[in-house]
Amino acid sequence: MGLTRNRLYIFLGLSCFAGYIWLFVNYKYSEREIAACLFRHVTGVPCPSCGSTRSVLYFFNGEFFSSLYSNPLGLIVAAIMLLAPFWIAFDLVSKRDSLFRFYKNTEKVFQKSWVAIPAILLIIGNWIWNIIKAV
Amino acid sequence: MEAQKVDMFMISNAKFFESHQIPIIRDRLISIDDSKWVQISTIQFKDPTLSIVLSVIVGSFGVDRFVIGDTGLGIGKLLTCGGLGIWTIVDWFLIMGATREKNMEMLQRFLF
Repeated sequence: MGLTRNRLYIFLGLSCFAGYIWLFVNYKYSEREIAACLFRHVTGVPCPSCGSTRSVLYFFNGEFFSSLYSNPLGLIVAAIMLLAPFWIAFDLVSKRDSLFRFYKNTEKVFQKSWVAIPAILLIIGNWIWNIIKAV
Repeated sequence: MEAQKVDMFMISNAKFFESHQIPIIRDRLISIDDSKWVQISTIQFKDPTLSIVLSVIVGSFGVDRFVIGDTGLGIGKLLTCGGLGIWTIVDWFLIMGATREKNMEMLQRFLF
């Protein structure tokens, strides 16, 4: 049981696919505000990652600084969405598990307290910035 | 190990595992060596009740996934506003099972 290589690739692949559909919908109906964030609907306060959709859209339009201003986390999402499909395809074709090992190693790194605590502080800082910006 | 010790362990820890796993754990515990008892009896299992509470309150930040040790999935959930809210709701139903699976993995490291 647990997360195996194939399960991770299927999950990641489907997530990327859903992400591209979500981006397309947002791009097509950009005049309307589509907010899916459950936390924001319930509390009225934006969550740490509110604004990432806009950020990713700006990124793909080449507007790097608008993307960074909208939400820095969007850059990470955009990087994952760009890289993951190619990495999965590479692994599947060459029958390797480099992405799976990379994922496991990243998990281990983030479980160390000297990485986790600054990461949590950064996320909270980004959250405060998000609330001030009133995304 | 003695059946009495094993039964005591099972009574106090049954809520951390799926019900179908309990007979297997019991059989396995009886057959293993007594020297592992100290290690096994001091494992800190994750509480499924805690994870469902966290999932309902701060599930859209992925905190529930971080707590049970699925750091990668937690980051994914955090970056996507809880998977656009859908993953958050799905996890309300999955997280208790996922926690029990994690506990089983933890115990398996000592059992096999």
